[in-house]
Amino acid sequence: MKLNKLGTALTAIALAAGAIAAAQAATNETIVTVVKVTGINWFNRMDEGVKEFGKENPNINAYQTGPGRADAAQQLKIIEDLIAKKVTAIAVVPYDPPTLEPALKKAMDRGIKVVTHEADNAKNTMVDIEAFDNTAYGAGLNERLAKCMNNQGKWAVLVGSLGSRSQVQWADGGIGNAKAKYPKMDLVEPKLETNNDGERAYQVAKEVLRKHPDLTGFQGSSSLDVIGIGRAVEEAGKVGKICVYGTGLPTEAAKFLESGAINGIAFWDPKLAGLAMNKVAQMLVDGKEVQNGADLGITGYNKVTVTKGPGKGVIVRGTGWVDVDKSNYKQYNF
Amino acid sequence: MKASKWLADRQFNFLIGVNVLVVIVATWMSHGQFLDIDNLQSMGGQLPELGLLALGIMLSMVSGNGGIDLSGVGLANLSGMVAAMMLPHMVSADDSPALYTAVFVCIVMVMGALGGLLNGVVIAKLKLTPILCTLGTQLLFTGIAVVLSNGASVRVEYVDPLSNIGNGTFLQVPISLWIFIAAVLLLGWILKRTPFGLRLYLMGTNPKAAFYAGIPRARMLILTYGMCGVLASLAGLISATHTSSAKWDYGNSYLLIAILIAVMGGVNPAGGYGRIVCVFLAATVLQFLSSLFNLLGVSQFFGDCAWGFLLLASLAFAGGDRVRAIFGIGGAAPKSNVPPPPASTGR
Repeated sequence: MKLNKLGTALTAIALAAGAIAAAQAATNETIVTVVKVTGINWFNRMDEGVKEFGKENPNINAYQTGPGRADAAQQLKIIEDLIAKKVTAIAVVPYDPPTLEPALKKAMDRGIKVVTHEADNAKNTMVDIEAFDNTAYGAGLNERLAKCMNNQGKWAVLVGSLGSRSQVQWADGGIGNAKAKYPKMDLVEPKLETNNDGERAYQVAKEVLRKHPDLTGFQGSSSLDVIGIGRAVEEAGKVGKICVYGTGLPTEAAKFLESGAINGIAFWDPKLAGLAMNKVAQMLVDGKEVQNGADLGITGYNKVTVTKGPGKGVIVRGTGWVDVDKSNYKQYNF
Repeated sequence: MKASKWLADRQFNFLIGVNVLVVIVATWMSHGQFLDIDNLQSMGGQLPELGLLALGIMLSMVSGNGGIDLSGVGLANLSGMVAAMMLPHMVSADDSPALYTAVFVCIVMVMGALGGLLNGVVIAKLKLTPILCTLGTQLLFTGIAVVLSNGASVRVEYVDPLSNIGNGTFLQVPISLWIFIAAVLLLGWILKRTPFGLRLYLMGTNPKAAFYAGIPRARMLILTYGMCGVLASLAGLISATHTSSAKWDYGNSYLLIAILIAVMGGVNPAGGYGRIVCVFLAATVLQFLSSLFNLLGVSQFFGDCAWGFLLLASLAFAGGDRVRAIFGIGGAAPKSNVPPPPASTGR
């Protein structure tokens, strides 16, 4: 009886294990993309890019993995297992770049090629890929805002967190652009913090509207800023009178884009970033370097800028942001 | 006599069986790569953090009265962070790396002991339910860590001996694994061979009888939670040296996994029962599985699913008594001990 039970339990486990044996493919080159967390729209979209790369390069086993929960510790474990697996290259979107430094150093010491994304402060990487120059991105958003505001009027900038380097760079890019080109635009609230929280962004936007009833423009930074601003603008009945632009995700911002409370959003397409990471990883494996001005053959990465990174590696920047408004947001499913 | 006694523990048999089976299947499916020295070292290096936290959960559960220590992960991160921030002001890393390392270890463990004692005092003297007390201190420890670091990672100065704790090997075995094994052996000895251990099991089994037998409840609880704190800080020491950094949200998913390991290891959440060797085996089987899935490139969600399945299988195999103890008679047992659902996380 006892043996019977044990047998049943163990057979079930063996069957489950056998079912996944098929997932194993034997090729000599393996490029693994490790994301911050699996199962969310953003990284599902990146997976599409990784799969596309795999299809274009049937001789390379390219796949994406990542922790089931957003936790730096879990991501670290995956990287360590991949080092032990002796993969050819690791392309990683670090949850927290400093946490991965020793592990990525170990990987490079063992001859594994390392590519990172969204980690321009990572020392132990060979190539860090950024979708765009943060200042240019912020200026691009501001350019659209200025057009909507007819180059004049009071405006405010929100950031998710003053500790987030990229968000502050976006905000500064926008502020700098307005200062240089549009003297009639009056920045009344520079960089109000929203704690990366849609609810807080809503409160902040409401306060700003109360303080400056004649305000006509908002630029958001965190993807939740525009959501909060959109809500506040809708509630104040000022849809169409106030221009709202910022970083946002099409699915999250859809409702407000439809109502007109948000005029436009911008983001970068994780699918293309995934493609770019794998492409660069393959170049490294083939012993090639990314040259300044090189064409990766991917939209937004047709003429990349290469600069020196904080470590031995380089930072490769594309111009891969996407401007979206009511007319075309439905093309993006994340 | 001894052999038959060991075989009588169905939980132990089950865990040994599953461990062996997973290793065999993994070796076969990975074409031997699973037993490659690199992979063994990698797994050995990953095991201790979670294992030490699970030992803490086990100790607190054994103490009974709904005992559980939810603050382990928070305390682990805080200890590492405080040491990383204090040390540069006390010892020069370049002049005396050995002293630097020693002081680092001391600060981390003292922090752990203090945090654990705080839990113990609140639970024993203020008579707060352990789950509430440690939930509170978990938020407290995490909160202090956020304030100290402004939410960013704190860098740990690179010193060879210190980095070796998390990354080095001794006799081909990761040093962190040696620490974990030492903790297992020491704790096993304390629980099995000392009066403290006997009293702890007694108190967990029947607090009333323990009271009338003259067991000093308050002192026992303070000591127990103090030990939990030290175990957590050891986990913090390993993670801080392993990653050369300390961050408030590192290992935020570890708590539920540590509870899962303890329960799968046959620890009775209602108190009074738990074998350390079983907890150790539960930790190894989870590590084997998760590394296997990574080797094969299988989704992590499948890993969660397999863990849940294993927990259910272990409960089924352990027999009705323990299942009843977990869900029924031991009313203090929190229902949250069922496996965590396949995680859904927002960005």
